[in-house]
Amino acid sequence: MHELNWGLPVILYLFLAGLGAGAVTVSGSVLLRKGGFHDSRMDIARYGALIGPIPVMLGTFLIVFELGQPFRALNLFKMINLSPMSIGTWALALFIILSGLYAICFIPRQATWPWLGKARRVLAWLCVPLGISVAIYTGVLLGAMPARPFWNSPILAGLFVLSALSTGTAAIMLTVALFGEKSAEHREGRENDQYLLVSSDALLLGGEMLVIFLFLMFAHLTIGDVRHAVEVILPGGSLASLFWWGVVLIGILFPFVMELFQVVPKLLYGRTFRSSLVLEVAVALSVLAGGFALRYIIVVAGQVTGPTTL
Amino acid sequence: MNDQEKPDTSRRGFVQLLAGGAVAATAASALGSLAPAGGAESTAKQSRIQYGMLIDTRRCIGCHSCSVACKAEFDVPLGVNKSWVEYTEKGTFPNVNRHFLPRLCNHCSEPQCVAVCPTGATYKRPQDGIVVVDSGLCIGCKYCIQACPYDARFLNPVTNFADKCDFCIHRVSKGLLPSCVNSCIGGARIFGDVNDPESEISRQIAANAVTVLRPGKGTEPNVYYIEADITEQAENSDGSYRVRVTTHRSIKERR
Ligand code: SF4
Ligand code: SF4
Ligand code: SF4
Repeated sequence: MHELNWGLPVILYLFLAGLGAGAVTVSGSVLLRKGGFHDSRMDIARYGALIGPIPVMLGTFLIVFELGQPFRALNLFKMINLSPMSIGTWALALFIILSGLYAICFIPRQATWPWLGKARRVLAWLCVPLGISVAIYTGVLLGAMPARPFWNSPILAGLFVLSALSTGTAAIMLTVALFGEKSAEHREGRENDQYLLVSSDALLLGGEMLVIFLFLMFAHLTIGDVRHAVEVILPGGSLASLFWWGVVLIGILFPFVMELFQVVPKLLYGRTFRSSLVLEVAVALSVLAGGFALRYIIVVAGQVTGPTTL
Repeated sequence: MNDQEKPDTSRRGFVQLLAGGAVAATAASALGSLAPAGGAESTAKQSRIQYGMLIDTRRCIGCHSCSVACKAEFDVPLGVNKSWVEYTEKGTFPNVNRHFLPRLCNHCSEPQCVAVCPTGATYKRPQDGIVVVDSGLCIGCKYCIQACPYDARFLNPVTNFADKCDFCIHRVSKGLLPSCVNSCIGGARIFGDVNDPESEISRQIAANAVTVLRPGKGTEPNVYYIEADITEQAENSDGSYRVRVTTHRSIKERR
């Protein structure tokens, strides 16, 4: 058996930090997009800002205790070098501070003071690139090692960003569905919000499908280390059932089809968008479960496989 | 042995000061992979000592003296090894054979463990090319353990730092041979400066057909082998002959 040097804390960190960074990035982008947006879009920005920093902090807390020397974690800030972990740590620290401030700016619903609206925008400008950095660096970190053929691919970073944005969107979707204003006069605004979220998430899931397809196709067409490594998730491999059921079916195909089912009537035929609470919750939960399964598969598969020749 | 004789890895700060300021040196090493090395650095790279090892597997009898000597030298905890011997058994009776492959850190010239270390705890000593872990900086993040293509590193279960072979700096700096070389009953291990063309190791490397492990990973190992059998168990799949690799480690499979 191979040794798993990185276990559940790392998997949870990748999932939670990706989710949180994704939610803040989505929130910031929605806030910064000028014009054409209904007032209620503020809700997306607000919920994303409020829920985003929490999972990032939780994941960071967990990963510190995966270290052999948790109480030395601050050594990371004694220097900065070209290690993806070093750059990522600095980005993560900045992100936690700034997204925390960004969240605080959203505690009052209305920007009653003019400076508050300005502060939100400035922080959003900072949080969007930082959120993407936090989402992407973990993929670069894993992808940088020729010793780990399953990870050693630039496309992994792309997959991580897409999965972070889509789990972040799903988290906002879930929050809006559960805690959003449900009164009749807000109905239209709320459905507008859900339409934006659902259609963006469908796009992101489509992107994930494409990246996973490319990953599998290249791995399958090549020979040697990468081919051998990817066999753990191909039918017959030890992680195949979790990958195909958990990631592909529950995490991507089911929510993707459901989202298309909701979005297409409005997108193509201009009908009114109808959302249902049950569907929103189910779709969001399956995206989140799939996001976790994806991180699990990738972290484990990378460690149980290795180069085939000495 | 008292503590003072242990390798003093914290002297690196001093070395960097010599190299023209600790900050400049850190920046230079950080940017080393971006910018082509300057003239001064490349000459330094050629002229300095690079310790290496040549393992003549024809002389190895698989006795594990090296593994035991290394364990004793460093009090390496149960379940982990800085030095180990793998057995490769292959063939179908009566055409069978068993080869021995002693393993240790390769003190690579392009060590990926160094490239990924976020704290600078793992570094290649400029004076002798030995790759070491500064236990004062290491946070135990295990990135280097993941990145080493030879599985030469482990998290020391007692100290919780990344750990591995350090070419017995404490012995070598006093003119002694590394413990595993000293104890090898077959005389299979030659230790020395591979950058010095007059050294025994350089002459043997020139005179024999030698290989390094996983040359394709680009790490440029400094542990050389004569007649290393690198057959893998995965080659068993077509069933034409049997292969069994025994690593003699708690990590049962090669990676
Ligand atoms: S063998 Fe591994 S641990 Fe040793 S220098 Fe090379 S990459 Fe680093
Ligand atoms: S475990 Fe220690 S030596 Fe290895 S990469 Fe992390 S900080 Fe560096
Ligand atoms: S050189 Fe020293 S530390 Fe390295 S394997 Fe030999 S005895 Fe162990």
